[in-house]
Amino acid sequence: MDWATILDIALKFVAITIAFTVVLLIVAYTVLAERRVLAFIQGRLGPNRVGYGGMLQPFADLLKFILKEDIVPDKSTRFIYFLAPVIATMAALMTMIVYPFGPETRIPLINVTLPLSIARFDVALLYVLGVTSVGVYGIMLAGWSSNNKYSLMGGLRSSAQMISYELALGLSLIGVVLLAGTLDLQKIVEMQSGWHGFKWFVFFQPLGFIIYIIAAIAETNRVPFDLPEAETELVAGFHTEYSAMKFALFFLAEYINMFTVSMLAATLFWGGWNVPFIDLVFARGSFMFGFLSILGFLFKVCVFLFAYIWIRGTLPRFRFDQLMNFGWKFLLPVALLNIFLTATILTFFDVI
Amino acid sequence: MLVLLFILFAGLAIGCAIAVVAQRNPLYCAISLIGVFISLACLYVMLAAPFIAAVQVIVYAGAIMVLVVFVIMLLNVEQEERRRSRLGFLVPVAVVLAAILIAEATFIIWFVDRSPVRTLSNVSDTGLTSSIGSALLTKYLLPFEITSILLLMAIVGAMTLARRIKEIPPGAAVVPGAQVLPLHMFDPTIALDDTRAVEAHGSDEVAEVLGVPDDHDPTKRD
Repeated sequence: MDWATILDIALKFVAITIAFTVVLLIVAYTVLAERRVLAFIQGRLGPNRVGYGGMLQPFADLLKFILKEDIVPDKSTRFIYFLAPVIATMAALMTMIVYPFGPETRIPLINVTLPLSIARFDVALLYVLGVTSVGVYGIMLAGWSSNNKYSLMGGLRSSAQMISYELALGLSLIGVVLLAGTLDLQKIVEMQSGWHGFKWFVFFQPLGFIIYIIAAIAETNRVPFDLPEAETELVAGFHTEYSAMKFALFFLAEYINMFTVSMLAATLFWGGWNVPFIDLVFARGSFMFGFLSILGFLFKVCVFLFAYIWIRGTLPRFRFDQLMNFGWKFLLPVALLNIFLTATILTFFDVI
Repeated sequence: MLVLLFILFAGLAIGCAIAVVAQRNPLYCAISLIGVFISLACLYVMLAAPFIAAVQVIVYAGAIMVLVVFVIMLLNVEQEERRRSRLGFLVPVAVVLAAILIAEATFIIWFVDRSPVRTLSNVSDTGLTSSIGSALLTKYLLPFEITSILLLMAIVGAMTLARRIKEIPPGAAVVPGAQVLPLHMFDPTIALDDTRAVEAHGSDEVAEVLGVPDDHDPTKRD
């Protein structure tokens, strides 16, 4: 190995560390934001005592999770009971590596041009879908191994729901793939840099975007699709028997999933790191351009996260048959219609 | 480096495959099978076929195995007991088949070693998504279409099996909670005192057959 390779690996390592730290910090503060925004919607105050305006609350929560007693049910299937939260968190974290946080940027001081993403490959979009579908096992196995009927019902509901909505989710992305002609997320973002960074695919794929958002909320088991943990029916669903740090891992996985799903929405539909009109001020590839791009990307993600919380504070929960009917009889045909329309228009008109 | 990764994933695949057959608990078998699929996907990535790898994870690990695990959990299959093998006569057959397989593999390895080395160009688009897509829709269009018709037939077949209104022989045991209707409700030519009956699936189907509004579905209630 020569020095260039070692430097390359070291830089990658630093990039991965920074990316994961920043993302996990944002995830931690999403929890706080959720509690504060929900409190605002419901006319309460929310946690505001730890640190300035509750800013240290996530760390207090973490400390509490670590210090709590870890109770393992007597009749649980030990190995799988321990494995389930690990699978859930790992699958949630693994999708993060393919998203482009920014364009290729020249870093000052060391004078190296770096792509602002962790990994790049040809089938990035399929990779995201694949890893997401593996994440279902975390919830299913948690429900089964706890040896509790509420957990089992939660796990079964969750797997049925995720299989059903994965179809609509995958099909809603095909419109974007048809437009871009590639599965590589970086190329998809590059294609949206036209019109001074405002040629976002959401303008070409409004229907696909709406389907994606609905299916994504169902995929992450959030209100109004949170039947796997419907507390009025199932105590706490699949994580009823989990306590302390193992519960925290499920909690973390849910919020990381929210984050990655929002990143995918921002990447595919809202132009990724493209911030409109900054190319008029800064040259592409310069440090400021890269920095503002990252900020713009994270801002878009935060807008989606806020929408998630807003929806949670506003909408009631579905009934299970409504959920299934909506997924299979409405969302799936509409997604197919969207593919048909996109393909027809692309055949006859030169849109892109 | 590549060899190390190959040994890691190949070993993982073989280990998980052995666990699939050796485990007694069906859920552990299913989890081991998922392990096999994921290690195979890693091997595909190393063979520069990322599309196949991704599809392997999405279709096999993500969809089919979820269904398998779902069924195991739903039926709550008990741990299989170690029972006296009824099919003992198959053991020698299995040994012979395994010997043939190993001989074939050895022959292939030996043959590849002996054949003159062909250098492939470093840049190849085989295995990339666009090349697979265009090959499927041009060169291999007919097999592709036939496969999709086969899948469609499987779906239609499954639907037919699931939706069929079964005729119950008189005196047959019926699962508690099943809707049982006398046959003359469906067919006016059958005499009223005929004891034959059919089993319907769900109150909505009964309501549909009888042509009455379904009171059990709150969404259809006026």
